[in-house]
Amino acid sequence: MTENNSDVLSRSDNPLGLEGVEFVEYATAQPEGLGKTLELMGFAYIARHRSRRVFLYRQGTMTIVVNADHEMLNGTDLQGDSVTLSGIAFRVADASSAYRHMVDLGAWPIPTRAGAMELNIPGVHGVGDSVIYLVDRHRDFSIFDVDFVFDTQVSSQPPALAGMHFFGLVQYVGAGRMEEWIDFYDQLLGFTPLPQGESFGILTRGSLLKSPCNQFYLQLFGPPEDVSYDIEWDESLARLGIGTPDVHAAVAQLQARGVTFEEGGLIKVTDKGALTRMFPGKVHFELVASRIGAAS
Amino acid sequence: MNLSNFSMDTVALPGDLAGKLDAVKKAGFSQIMLWAKDLANYPGGFAAAVELVTTSGLKVTGLQVIRDYEGLEGSQHDCKVDLAKATLKMCRAINAPLLIVCSTTVDLPADSATKMAQDLRKLANLAVPQGVRIGYKAVPWGSVTRSNEDAWEMVMAVDHANFSLVIDSFHLMANQTELDSLEEIDPQKIALLQLADFSATEIRTPRDKRDTSIHMRVFPGEGVHSSELAAILRRLERIGYRGDIGFLVFNDDYHQLPQEDVLEHARRSAKWVTDQVLRRSLPLRMTAKRSVA
Repeated sequence: MTENNSDVLSRSDNPLGLEGVEFVEYATAQPEGLGKTLELMGFAYIARHRSRRVFLYRQGTMTIVVNADHEMLNGTDLQGDSVTLSGIAFRVADASSAYRHMVDLGAWPIPTRAGAMELNIPGVHGVGDSVIYLVDRHRDFSIFDVDFVFDTQVSSQPPALAGMHFFGLVQYVGAGRMEEWIDFYDQLLGFTPLPQGESFGILTRGSLLKSPCNQFYLQLFGPPEDVSYDIEWDESLARLGIGTPDVHAAVAQLQARGVTFEEGGLIKVTDKGALTRMFPGKVHFELVASRIGAAS
Repeated sequence: MNLSNFSMDTVALPGDLAGKLDAVKKAGFSQIMLWAKDLANYPGGFAAAVELVTTSGLKVTGLQVIRDYEGLEGSQHDCKVDLAKATLKMCRAINAPLLIVCSTTVDLPADSATKMAQDLRKLANLAVPQGVRIGYKAVPWGSVTRSNEDAWEMVMAVDHANFSLVIDSFHLMANQTELDSLEEIDPQKIALLQLADFSATEIRTPRDKRDTSIHMRVFPGEGVHSSELAAILRRLERIGYRGDIGFLVFNDDYHQLPQEDVLEHARRSAKWVTDQVLRRSLPLRMTAKRSVA
């Protein structure tokens, strides 16, 4: 841990020294299908794991891990082309300290998945079956340098379309569970709720929490209050929010690649944001007008 | 009679899990409070117990109980956390939205309050991804938290939305708690009201409290403190408590009766409670079903 990192870690409003997101992970048994979706969204395939069915896609500052590892899939009920948002890796000042801090406060450790000579990335259970990873090797060298074989035919740093960058994750919470999750993210990660009325994007229901590093958001929303009592509403990560300084430019570039957007009723492309139509595997992405992280 | 927000606690019933589930349902109750030992001791094994519960058609009010958890250090703390995590997994398996924690009876240093709150906050966080709420109750023979006022102070100190108070009417009466103290409580922070009366007219020593509490409770309306119990019900109604009511009736005698007879006491008791607080007989607002992946 560097001196700078130590300073970040000691800040009481940022107990883990959060500094943005290293990667977002999807899990699926059919990585080829999700890969096509990601490529439509402007991501480029750049690497695969040395020994597992795990693939890296990237554009600009965003790295997506597509996890189709057989061992991982055995612990899930993922079938066919279904896709789940299975994890997020936060950059922290010191992963080991951050991990101990979170476990001391009541996070559930996940069993290590690293094999021989593989890098062990500490992580704790998030919502549903998802994992919150903690990464501190993002400056001098990348965690991916150890375990991944990069495709030498393509750039490992493909540029982003329309300045797109990670903006946030949307999470379903159970009925009456909003405040519980807010306290969970506040105490374990230092996320704080935005004041009522402050919102981003076009889908503003629920509560929006800001990371202590001001680079990432979590949007929590529960089932509508007027639905019938037997609605199924599993707590899980719902979708990835991608920020862009110019929503219309991003939409135009993505449409040119074949991406379609919701255009009906309240959900349509506006200056504030847009929602892609569902891709195979029930994946969709939300665009949000944002300059956060665009320069990083 | 509307029994929808009355929960039958299995501790009053003889027999095994299958028999308890069946009898409670036949008696017209839609909710049941289970004990971890109901599941762990089921002859068919834990997985079969889970299957029985989740296909019973009964809503699980919660799971009893974690004891002597908070305030410990080192390996004792680690051991208790492991036990708590195993119990939380049981809650998740049976869709129990509440895990009850009784205040510790372990002798602790005088300045343990901060550590106790820290440990309980940790438990509240552990329970969030499992979809479980923690309900904390004072037992009069606790080492630090002995009264309902103590437990409410701890709930405020823990200050976590996933950590709430469980009120046990027996303990209010045994401690001769001033009901005005209930006015201090935010009704939204009451996870459950557990009701029971008892047959002794007076309980003096902590040991008496414990013995009576775990052996000689009777159903509300059948003891000698009906007027006090009615006052508790009305006071909680007045402060806005509209949550579930559980019948927590430890009584060795009931274990010598057929389940149906014990449950007839419970049905009469629900009628008695409804008569004290008329609102209880009104239909409830439907709420969305919680379902955690």
